Amino acid sequence: MAIQKILLAYNFTSLDQKAIDFVTSAFSHIEGVEITIFHAFTPVPEIDTEASLVTGKLKGSLSYLSQQIMQRENDLKSVTEKLALNGFPADRIHTVFRPRKKDIASEIINLTRETKFDAVVINRKAARITRFFSGSVSSKVVMTLKDTTVCIVS
Amino acid sequence: MSAQEKIDIDLFKVVFRAIAQSDDLDIMANHLTQLLVAALEIKGCTIFALNPESNELENLASFGLSMSYLEKGPVLSGKSISDTFKGKPTVIPDVNNTDRLQYPQDARAEGIGAIVSVPIIFYGRVVGALRLYHNDVWDISERDVDSLLVLAENIGLAMTYTRILNALKTIRYTVDDIHSIWLLGQE
Repeated sequence: MAIQKILLAYNFTSLDQKAIDFVTSAFSHIEGVEITIFHAFTPVPEIDTEASLVTGKLKGSLSYLSQQIMQRENDLKSVTEKLALNGFPADRIHTVFRPRKKDIASEIINLTRETKFDAVVINRKAARITRFFSGSVSSKVVMTLKDTTVCIVS
Repeated sequence: MSAQEKIDIDLFKVVFRAIAQSDDLDIMANHLTQLLVAALEIKGCTIFALNPESNELENLASFGLSMSYLEKGPVLSGKSISDTFKGKPTVIPDVNNTDRLQYPQDARAEGIGAIVSVPIIFYGRVVGALRLYHNDVWDISERDVDSLLVLAENIGLAMTYTRILNALKTIRYTVDDIHSIWLLGQE
């Protein structure tokens, strides 16, 4: 099956840059291929800011935090520009920037199923102790997705 | 900044309720860093997990700091505010006046004025660190440092809980992968 739709999970790290380079070299020359760059952000926690004095004080700070998170959406757009500069046709690059409700692996799996991506590109940092605590995103994606090519950049 | 107490029971309630909204450690830890930055009006906050093999601190959640600062290089427990890993909370009220930082120039370039580092302890062992970064010189009160220690202990509990949960999930995936042919004659 020819790969036509690719999902690139992106988290603004140097390894993500490696993933961008991989996607460009491996897929940009394939006619008709489309890429979606996906970032799931942790939304600011829901707090009733009218409930008490302390939550009222948090109101201004929380809206500032929301602005900082939304700044990331613009950062994601600059990634699409970088891909276009590297030779990927601009009209075949899309972005998905949405709040995460579950663990990051589930977000990737759900989006892949919803949008029927043929391939998923994720990165994996070697020997991470944090994987021990929060689970391995790449392992869960590989174990769960069927009929989808999963590329791991490490 | 004076040593005014900023963490009280109302703030504790807000923080604990917010982090209890999710059973995912990443979301919990990210909410905690966001809320501490908002409530204490500081520059940033990071939760590190300690890799006992490499003695490296790995970023579990962070808010308010640039990616270039977070990726400045390996953060080693023996070089970066090392007292934290002896179980002691450490206050660096002025980063221009300390030899306890591994990357002092990067801290200054990031616009960090002061750092508070609190150990995350579980079952008597340091499993990570909670670090708070202020733009300016910071004179945090002793009571606020104590409150941060309590918060850090709860992060330790959450980390341990999710570690066990992940181990169980891995076992479940492995069991699901066993083809029924291997179970013939076993029942």
